Formats: sequence, C-alpha cells, structure tokens
Amino acid sequence: MTHVVLESCIRCKYTDCVDVCPVDCFREGPNYLVIDPDECIDCAVCIPECPVNAILPEEDVPSDQLAFIKLNADLSRKWPSITKRKPALPDADEWKDVKDKLGQLAR
Amino acid sequence: MNAQVTPTSIAAAAPTAPHSPDKPIETHAVIVGAGPVGLFQVFELGLLEIKAHVIDSLAYPGGQCVELYPDKPIYDIPAVPVCTGQELTDNLLKQIEPFGATFHYGQEVTQVEKQDDGRFYVQTSKGTQFLTKTVFIAGGVGSFQPRTLKVDGLEKFEETQLFYRVRNPAQFAGKNLVIVGGGDSALDWALDFVKEGPHKAESVILVHRRDGFRAAPANVAKMKELCDAYEMQFVVGQVTGFEEDAGKLKSLKLTGADGVTRVMPLDVLLVFFGLSPKLGPIAEWGLGIDRKQVVVDTEKFESSIPGIFAVGDINTYPGKKKLILSGFHEAALAAFGASPYVFPEKRVLLQYTTTSPKLHKVLGVESPVFD
Repeated sequence: MTHVVLESCIRCKYTDCVDVCPVDCFREGPNYLVIDPDECIDCAVCIPECPVNAILPEEDVPSDQLAFIKLNADLSRKWPSITKRKPALPDADEWKDVKDKLGQLAR
Repeated sequence: MNAQVTPTSIAAAAPTAPHSPDKPIETHAVIVGAGPVGLFQVFELGLLEIKAHVIDSLAYPGGQCVELYPDKPIYDIPAVPVCTGQELTDNLLKQIEPFGATFHYGQEVTQVEKQDDGRFYVQTSKGTQFLTKTVFIAGGVGSFQPRTLKVDGLEKFEETQLFYRVRNPAQFAGKNLVIVGGGDSALDWALDFVKEGPHKAESVILVHRRDGFRAAPANVAKMKELCDAYEMQFVVGQVTGFEEDAGKLKSLKLTGADGVTRVMPLDVLLVFFGLSPKLGPIAEWGLGIDRKQVVVDTEKFESSIPGIFAVGDINTYPGKKKLILSGFHEAALAAFGASPYVFPEKRVLLQYTTTSPKLHKVLGVESPVFD
C-alpha cells in the first residue's frame, strides 16, 4: 500500500506535507507533488498537513480519482525529491477549490 | 500536558535515572520508544519478570499519540470505546506502574553493538550506556525533530542565535528575544521570559503568522494582557529574511499581513513550529530493512539479529497493519520470544492475570478468593 496525492494539489502545491514526511518520499513537479509508492511507509502523518486534503491512503482513493494512483507511481520515477517546504504557487488560493484540474497538470 | 517541550513539561517530566557516565546500566531489556506500543511492551515484559529501561527522544512519554494527536479521539482500542491520545498514554503509564521501568527521555539511541557474551551494548546521544540481553525497537515513524524555519542562510546561526528548543533558559536572560510560533511552546516560553525571575529577558517579541493560537486560551489571554501593559509585543507576520553584521544575526525581516516588510533587531531567535518524525539511524544498525522498516517474523516479532525485536509502526511483515492494537499483540508475542534470552533455564508458561497468583504478585495486587 501507499499514500497518494490527488487532484486537489494541482496548481496549488502547498508543500506542507513535505516537511513532515519521515522518509522524504515526496517528488516535485512544476505544479503538483506526488508520493513515491516505493518509499512511502503509510504512516499517514502527511494527511492532516495538507490544507486542501489532497492526500489519501491508496485504499481510500475515490473511484473517480483512481488514475492518480498510477500517476503518482509514474511521475515519481521522473521528478526530483523535495524535502523542505517552500511557498505555495502564487495563485494557489484561486485554484484550491477548483475541480477537474487534471488538464492543468504540467509535466 | 502540552504537546511540545515547554517550561512546565520540563519541570514535570520524570527525571532521567542517575547513572555513572563510565559504567553501563545492566538490564534485561532496552525498549527504544515510549509510544503506546513501547509502553505496553513494558507491561508484557513485566508479566514475565523481565526488567526494562525505556529510551525516547522526546522529553515525555506518548510518542505520536501525544505529539501528533493528543486531543483527537481514538476509537479502535479494544474495550475502550473512545479515548484521546493523551488519555491512552496516561492509562498505559498507570497500567505499567507496577513494573518500575526506568525512563530515559530526551535522548536517541546512537549505537547498538552485539558483545561477545551475547548481550547488546547500547549508547544514547546523552551518553547513557546499557548492557542488555534484549532490545525492543518501538520507534514508530522515527524520532521527533523540531520543524525548522525555512529562510535561506539562517541555519548558520543555529545554536548561537537561533534555537529550536530551550535547554538552559538562563542563557537568554537579559537578551532581546524574538519568539516565533503559535502553539503552547511559543506562548509558554514567551510568558516565561517576560516574567520577573532569574532569566527575565530584556525584551520579548512574539511573532505568529496569524492572530489566532493553538495554545491554552488562558495563556493567550495572559499574553494579550502583557502586550497591553507594554511588557511584551505581539506581531502578526512571517520571517522572510534577515540582516547580519560581522557574522552575527542583527535583525529579522518580517513580512506582515499587510504585505509590508519591516526590520526587527534582535539578539536571539527562538522558533517553536512543533515537531515532526524522522526515521533516522535505525536503518544503520545492520538489521534487515524493507522500505525503512524493520523486517520481523510473525512468531516472535524478532528482527534479523537474534535478541533484537521490533514492534509497532516500525516493523513490517506480510499483512502488517499500522494499528495500535496490532502493536499490542506484537508486544505480547515479542515478550515471550525474548524470555529464553533473559532466562535461558526457565520454562515459560502462559498464565492469566485473572487467575495466576504469580502474576498477581508481579502486578502487586491481591489474589482474589473464589468461593
């Protein structure tokens, strides 16, 4: 099992989660974070940190977002590690409540 | 109890056992981690008359339960319909009281080495040494470290003018302090350094990113009173930069809610952003590890090194679920698994606390008389 970063993160990238991860398993893209499923130890410490509730255990991912499980696995192979919190994207607050953001994902 | 190291919790924390710096403490078992599973390990070992010392990096027991969710209700402890992380910890401490375990707080295990006589030499970051027949790793998701202030270049002032914990309040007496944070630690220390006393600061400015606190309301009210009386100052804002002079931190750049950046001179910066866990050196103990967790069997929850057991969130095995109740089960079987190392001659039988006079004796309770 692993934890998964879901759609809400796209174009927000608050990065609060990164600070608390005991195993540094977050990977950073231009406007989205993912969790490396081979590194995540399912400790769940990151879940309450996310201001937009973007992180869930794999088993709890809603049926309309199941694609994000594979997306996390695939992108974590390509993206660099992020271990320190940084400012959110400048327009994060405008995007945080927007649904259907997958088209906005920058790779 | 507050979830962070505060003036009151330091005073209230059980004292570390006295020890001679040269002579290791000889014991049956060392438990690494004083979270719920580490505490219950004391109980299960105690029933088998195995004496334990417990080490934790925090200054108080409870681990994640106390550090991450002291007030959140837990619903899946068998026979306890609901309790908070703090209540669970308090009840476990009460339950293990008869066994007289010794607690060594505020230190991390830095060394574990097998000796020729089969025992393990264990040393901590404070220099406490043990010679133990068994080791129980109940380290959860790692040791809790302070969350740092993320301002590039500021880290070079750490331990000279920038501090994430207060070890010796006297060193800040008479200084111009800036305290950052909105929790109990920030508030408690701010009030403490304003107070008349041996370590009263020259000035105290509290900085928090918003005008709302995750701290005891009485302390927030007290802080506001002191601000109204010009005894201290509270500023809403975030540290965004700093100025230095001849290698010394001279002032902070504070960006306020209005977007304006102001310069604030200071002597010392104290930051209290809470703690987060990091899985650290356990990976270097030479144990079988899978995804940074200790691989154990499900018969005794023993690691790849005989005599070293791992229980709770730190271990992994097929079907592992990170539940407190699973950790309790693991602790029970690990205790039985450890008994042959501690008492090689003794045949250990399963006994019940309801009926066993022997267990009543170790628990320090009367044996009931049945008619």
